[in-house]
Amino acid sequence: MIEVKNVTKKYGNFVAVNNISFTVKDGEVVGFLGPNGAGKSTTMNMITGFIEPTEGSIVVNGYDVLKKPIQAKKQIGYMPEGVPLYTELTVKEFITYMAELKRVKRKERKEKVEKAIEETGLKDVEKKLIRNLSRGYKQRVSLAGALVGDPEVIILDEPTVGLDPKQITEIRKLIKNLGKNHTVILSSHILSEVSQICERVIIINKGNLIAIDTPENLEKKTEEKHVILLTVEDQKGNMEKLKKDIPEITECKFVKDNEDGTKQYMIESSADVDLRKKLFDILPKKEITIFELKKAETSLEDAFITLIDKNTVKEEKQEKVEEKSKTKKKDKEEKKKDKEKGGKK
Amino acid sequence: MWPVLKKELKTYFLSPIGYVFIGLFLAMFSILFYITTIYQGMTTFQYVFYYSAMYTVVFIVPLLTMRMFAEERKNGTEQLLLTSPRSMIGIVLGKFFAAVLVIVITEILTLIYLGILCYFKVPDLATIAVTMFGFLLLTMAYIAFGMLVSSLTENQIIAAVVTIAAFVLTWLAPNLSLSFVSISLIEQFYPFATGVFPIAQTINLLSMTIMFVVITMIVMKRRKLVK
Repeated sequence: MIEVKNVTKKYGNFVAVNNISFTVKDGEVVGFLGPNGAGKSTTMNMITGFIEPTEGSIVVNGYDVLKKPIQAKKQIGYMPEGVPLYTELTVKEFITYMAELKRVKRKERKEKVEKAIEETGLKDVEKKLIRNLSRGYKQRVSLAGALVGDPEVIILDEPTVGLDPKQITEIRKLIKNLGKNHTVILSSHILSEVSQICERVIIINKGNLIAIDTPENLEKKTEEKHVILLTVEDQKGNMEKLKKDIPEITECKFVKDNEDGTKQYMIESSADVDLRKKLFDILPKKEITIFELKKAETSLEDAFITLIDKNTVKEEKQEKVEEKSKTKKKDKEEKKKDKEKGGKK
Repeated sequence: MWPVLKKELKTYFLSPIGYVFIGLFLAMFSILFYITTIYQGMTTFQYVFYYSAMYTVVFIVPLLTMRMFAEERKNGTEQLLLTSPRSMIGIVLGKFFAAVLVIVITEILTLIYLGILCYFKVPDLATIAVTMFGFLLLTMAYIAFGMLVSSLTENQIIAAVVTIAAFVLTWLAPNLSLSFVSISLIEQFYPFATGVFPIAQTINLLSMTIMFVVITMIVMKRRKLVK
């Protein structure tokens, strides 16, 4: 279990992470989402004890990262961003070194190292120098370094960046398996990945926590309108008048002409009405033949973008208000000064 | 401390650094050995150490120290090290003693020259033992300083240049004013070669070593806040 309470990290005046709180339960797989520079890595670095938060506390399996760093770090296997490795060592040497650093007992060490090598599919290259490995293999070595010694909590910073599609599916499978008996936190900006692997998603932007929820709920929450994609054969041009016939339609957009003479339209309505049935009923009466009718699904991607946009707009507004009040204050002060000067004269 | 020490020592000899260091040192040692003893027909083996401290060690110890923390910081591997359940004391001392062990290995290799000298005439072995001990203390202080500089930057070249510059400055400083003698490492080493066991200098060199090691620990601990 990981408890992050009111954590803030400041660099001078710059706030990298702003008052974030969340808990991750045992055996949960949680995804960190956010655009570049949102504070994902900073938060992960704070959980692993690599950097210290300016304010707030982080407790990992009952050990406070600040007060009992060694016990807390013992619980965690960490794969940092950018896959840092000791390239002059061989794969096996590196993983053994990581096991030693993590205080894996001498008796179990060999066995645990073997296990990590097998889990990540590194058996073929275990005697190669890390320097000579391809990017994908390096990534796996880094992952093996995080897994060795069976830590209860596994933290992965962008584990699938730079891998080919086959490797990505392999790593995802591996992470899903890990989720069965480990607590896993991973960060990513690939949304489909997070929605596939994670049970819960934490979205951060500009250091602020925007949302914590399951991927499905997030999709639902941000659904603002229904969108239906419609392919029709419409010889009499009745589609243009459709908006009059069905008042619930908020927008009817022409998308494209297909080669077979059909046309594609996009029909929008508010989120609480489903127009599909109505369209089926009405369109044939207007001599429009339906070739295809489907609901355009909102994806986590849309949810993410909507949330981030909302957040940014809010901030901009706030900033503007602040600036205005500042300039007003300044004006007042200047006026005061002028008055004082005038008085002195 | 042990895993770090083991790995660091291994890295010195997996990369060419360890061999280059020992090779350069012994090459210079051979020349100095020839000039100061064989050519002059003397048995003052201890001065070979004094001169190599002055002319060789100054320039090659950064080979051992410059990469210590700078390289880890640049490659990001310090994240692996600092998120492992190891104390900062263990990590810093592991790295420190790995470099000291390279010096010990080098010193053991210089016994070959002592063997050659003994073939002609056995010199005063006690003096030589004390000098070698002093030489170890001197290089320890120097390594500790180099390590500190390495922990301050991620650029290995800057680490090396600053380390050399600092040593050369303290080497030349006593020429300006005698008050600099106590901070000049090489001046602290000289008495060891005279055949007495200098307690004051031993304490001075040791305390400098401890000071630099402790400051390195503080610097690395502070990284958590600044990074």
